[in-house]
Amino acid sequence: MDTTLLAEALGNLLTPQVLLAIVAGVVGGILIGALPGLSGTMGIALLVPVTFGMDPVAGIAMLTAIYAAATYGGSISAILINTPGTPAGAATALDGYQLTRQGKGAKALGVSALASTAGGLVSAFALLLLAPPLAQVSLAFSAPEYFLIAIFGLLIIGSLSAGSLLKGFVAGALGLLLATVGIDILTGYPRFTFGTTALQSGIQLVPALIGLFSLSQVLVLAEGRGTDRTGMAEGLRGRALPTLAELKRIGATILRSSGIGVFVGILPGAGGDIGSWVGYNEAKRFAKGPEKEEFGKGSIKGVAAAECANNAVTGGAMIPLLTLGIPGGSATAVILGGLLIHGLQPGGALFAESGGITYAIILGFLLANILMGIIAIAGARFFVRATRVPMSVLVPVIVALCVVGSFAVNNSLADVWVMLVAGAVGYVLRKVGVPPAPIVLGLILGAIAEKGLRQSVVMAQGDMIGYYLSRPLSVVLMALILLSLLAPVLARWLRKRIPEQEREKAAA
Amino acid sequence: MGGLGLAGAAAGGLLTGCGAASGAEGRYPQRPIQMIIAYAAGGGTDVGARILQPFLEKELGGQLQIVNRPGGGGWAGWNEIVQADPDGYTLGFVNSPNFMTGYLDPRLGREGVGPDSFTFIANQVTDYGAVAIHPDDKRFDDIGGLMAYAKKHPLIVTSTGVGSDDHYASLRLADRYKTKFDVLHNEGSSDGISDLLGRNADVVFANVGELTSHHEAGELKVVAVMKDSQERSKYLPDVPTLAEAGFGGVESWSSRGIAGPAGLDPGVVERLSAACRTAINNPEHIEQLGKQGLEVDYRAPEDYLRMIRKDDKNIRRIGEKYVWGEQARQ
Repeated sequence: MDTTLLAEALGNLLTPQVLLAIVAGVVGGILIGALPGLSGTMGIALLVPVTFGMDPVAGIAMLTAIYAAATYGGSISAILINTPGTPAGAATALDGYQLTRQGKGAKALGVSALASTAGGLVSAFALLLLAPPLAQVSLAFSAPEYFLIAIFGLLIIGSLSAGSLLKGFVAGALGLLLATVGIDILTGYPRFTFGTTALQSGIQLVPALIGLFSLSQVLVLAEGRGTDRTGMAEGLRGRALPTLAELKRIGATILRSSGIGVFVGILPGAGGDIGSWVGYNEAKRFAKGPEKEEFGKGSIKGVAAAECANNAVTGGAMIPLLTLGIPGGSATAVILGGLLIHGLQPGGALFAESGGITYAIILGFLLANILMGIIAIAGARFFVRATRVPMSVLVPVIVALCVVGSFAVNNSLADVWVMLVAGAVGYVLRKVGVPPAPIVLGLILGAIAEKGLRQSVVMAQGDMIGYYLSRPLSVVLMALILLSLLAPVLARWLRKRIPEQEREKAAA
Repeated sequence: MGGLGLAGAAAGGLLTGCGAASGAEGRYPQRPIQMIIAYAAGGGTDVGARILQPFLEKELGGQLQIVNRPGGGGWAGWNEIVQADPDGYTLGFVNSPNFMTGYLDPRLGREGVGPDSFTFIANQVTDYGAVAIHPDDKRFDDIGGLMAYAKKHPLIVTSTGVGSDDHYASLRLADRYKTKFDVLHNEGSSDGISDLLGRNADVVFANVGELTSHHEAGELKVVAVMKDSQERSKYLPDVPTLAEAGFGGVESWSSRGIAGPAGLDPGVVERLSAACRTAINNPEHIEQLGKQGLEVDYRAPEDYLRMIRKDDKNIRRIGEKYVWGEQARQ
């Protein structure tokens, strides 16, 4: 990055509006994460329409700040009431809750905040350093490469489905089917529009995201689950900031977990939950003597390992998102929706043409992680209280936000219907154990794959196979696809390292 | 015309409600006018409309509310214009010929709609089509060479979507001069330009406003402006028109202007038309649009309608032949 670009990016970032948006994202993200049952993905989906009226840097920086902060926020309820606010917080609960029972809840929160910040920062730097060269490569992409990269992304659906591979593919196929709705871009033929104008431009991504991730989840919440808050009464006592000796103890763990998290994040399909479990297990494996015994009984190393890794996943997961437009998980899929409504098409052009905006967003993510650490420690007592907000208040507020948000994007009532239908479908699917994330992936990647394939038919002027083989990048991608067929096997191997009962909790 | 007086009356009406308005019977506008843009905020049409907004508000002495209604290839918004009450408080921007496919293509089921469903008030911008090639192309370096080559060898040409002005532009050129073009549809001209630069496509069909900066930077070479007259585009003075280069009889543009639903009161149309003429021809407005590479081309209601009818006739024939008719489906 040259200095003029850096100056432009900093100029875009350091405005009151953007800074305020990042602070709001961090505070909101921690709150959303801390509330058991509300995931970061849901919060981001809800706020995508809000960013519509903001400038792109402020809007996207806010979304990524929520992503980072909600990942940390999940540890608050995990530590204090043994109920992970997000699936990624499950590993944290093991030692965190034990610490709370020993009266060291504040210390556990402090360690968690510090480790999350460290992991997030490392991942932000990884994003800053790794994304631009990757984006340079993607500049040379055209239709054949986009087709292949979308196929590559679709293959990871298997690993996105926490439980059954079959259910994941069912959800993915549903997404692919939905991607065919709308006017066929190569012939102009209206497909599955049922004579309506609203469906001619296809299923709108943002309303579908809000329905699938926010409305369906709030419907599950409204059933009255997770309202048991008996363990929540106690306030925080004691020192939150770790001592120097404690810092020395967890230093190596944090470094290791950061690396693991970034790597898992870049892997398509493996999200924060896998990252935190792998980080936790590796920390345990490396521990010696009495320290090893401590794991599961209140080890600050355990908390640090899990929390650091799941936050390190966030920056890693944004690398394929920004450079290729391939979201590796549900949270990044929603952020993609946010990028698109601001006219920011991920890929090489994002760095080449809107570098000032893109780098501002990345630097904003870095800043958000720093602010997250400060706000988390300073406001710990406040965030604890927020976890007691009753569902009877939350549910109607979220439903109202779902409706207003999906209308606001295009001023279209049809989009509200799309959101409601997606919410109902998402609810039913959740009840039968089909995850919503592969649907969204199918919807996004299906459109890219179809367009890429059919455009490459025109470009090939006859000889398809020869055309694909004549393009070096295509050949590399085809090799990657063959390799990625091994990815679900790898992901399953990683998952095997998660203890059985915790895996179920994480999948819930 | 008493622009200031009217502004005062309208502002008074807004502040005190119907009490003040009753004294201004017959005056238009008495409340904010909704201006529908069939594309998303930040797009070309939206930007142009927002540039015009303050000039037109000053001339009308009233408020304009810009409402973006994207979707359905623009028809989500255009339907709203067609179905609005013809009271002059719902108007919108119409993009031609892009809006024609929506009612001409029988597969889309809008046979009941057509130019007669609108009252055309003023054209704002006419952006002519242009043909560009890669500057290092060894096979041809001008429009003559390109056309001669394409008569024998099929070339991949870009388009910004089925039924876009750029799609019809290449179809009409191929139809008249028997060239072989394989159309590569994309969603915007920037995709087409990157395909040209990456040598994945041979020829870009886009508009002058979209190509000028790339041409000046030497990234691509515009070989012709799709105009059926000898007068060159002022943004591309070094590029011949099609007529100049010996390929007359074909022209293409993308125009946008203000229209309302059919049956608009003639008094309201007259008032709007007068305000639009002054606002659109305002040198400041022309200059601001010029910075976007867009040529302001004010046309009064009858002239604007004539232009739309001409587009309609051409598109009807070409679309029938190549896009939705019997022959196209083989």
